[in-house]
Amino acid sequence: MMSSNKRTFKTCGFVFAAIMIVALSPMMASAAKPAAIYSLKAEGLSYPFCAYGIEKQLGNIAGVESVSTDIESGTVTVSMEAGASLDESEARHAVEKAGFTLRSFKKGD
Amino acid sequence: MRRSLTASLALVLLNGFTFFAPARAAPQTFNNALPVAAGEFVFREQFIYRKAGDGPGPADRELKVRGALSVLGYGVTGNLAVFGILPYLDKELKLTTPGRQRLTRDTSGIADARLFARYTVYRRDAPGRTLRIAPFLGVELPTGDDDDGDNLGPLPAPLQLGSGSWDLSGGIVATRQTLDYEMDAQVSYKLNTGANQFEFGDEVRLDASFQYRLWPRELSTGVPGFFYGVVEANLVHQEKNKASGVRDDNSGGTSFFLSPGIQYAMERWVLEAIVQLPVTQNLKGTALEDNYVVRTGFRVNF
Repeated sequence: MMSSNKRTFKTCGFVFAAIMIVALSPMMASAAKPAAIYSLKAEGLSYPFCAYGIEKQLGNIAGVESVSTDIESGTVTVSMEAGASLDESEARHAVEKAGFTLRSFKKGD
Repeated sequence: MRRSLTASLALVLLNGFTFFAPARAAPQTFNNALPVAAGEFVFREQFIYRKAGDGPGPADRELKVRGALSVLGYGVTGNLAVFGILPYLDKELKLTTPGRQRLTRDTSGIADARLFARYTVYRRDAPGRTLRIAPFLGVELPTGDDDDGDNLGPLPAPLQLGSGSWDLSGGIVATRQTLDYEMDAQVSYKLNTGANQFEFGDEVRLDASFQYRLWPRELSTGVPGFFYGVVEANLVHQEKNKASGVRDDNSGGTSFFLSPGIQYAMERWVLEAIVQLPVTQNLKGTALEDNYVVRTGFRVNF
């Protein structure tokens, strides 16, 4: 009777551990590969209504998690999903499609 | 009587409704050269109220036009954009007959739609500023009813919703925009063709706009809403109309409008309003003179 209970607890323990490993593995992977952030400088951007075009074009690139703009400095910050990276030529093409000019491209922390 | 009415209405109706301001434009009475991102749509709805008359006189004519202009813009590339404009108009003319009877003639419905393309040929971008020059070419389609009538008979051509003709227009627009202000200038020409033995005179326009950011005075981080004060100017010249091949001496002329306005621009929305006031109107014959035009509306990015 005692031995049967021990076996049951042991089995439950293995199942619980397996579920935890599966559930936490993406987080562990994220921790291993932090999300990249890129800082872009766009020239020609001077009207709030135009900022949406740049954000939408950059947001359409695979792996982009979020895009935000600071209109005064012309800085567009692109946050990537974990493990994804942003190619400069792809970013330049997206900014060009929005009707603006990419002046600089820098990978942040 | 009918001939005089037809002639005098022509300029009044054409001045305000043949050159609609497209969606992306920061000016409210004409176009500009700012981009529409590739694959992106911009929608604009502009509501218009126009009043014109000929002052105290035996006919005491009074024209009111209410309208809603729906504009859809699409960015084909970062430099090429196409626009479609569909107006809905409600026109009402009141006049007194020689027998002292006060008459009202009116019509409402879809007016002539317009399609045009704009291509940016020059672009000079710098941090927080841009200079762009873009020619445009378009066509006005005879989508409006051009044979409407009432119990007095067919409405005169200028009071109809549509011209019945295919009319070409083109021009060039330049925009200088910074974080603090925007300036726009446009020259355009509209080549009118005839229909129903009536041809509106060709039209040439010079337009200018200046918008200055009044608020916020200091920019915060992100993309704050900009509140602009706006002044626009429109110089419009129209040739005389032709009815059955004969020039109408009571049509055509030159008008100059000065328009104060406001605009609030956000990332997804723009809200705006402007009042067009005639400064000088050198019109031929017995043409009706504008009292004012009010335009208000919104734009949205999607």
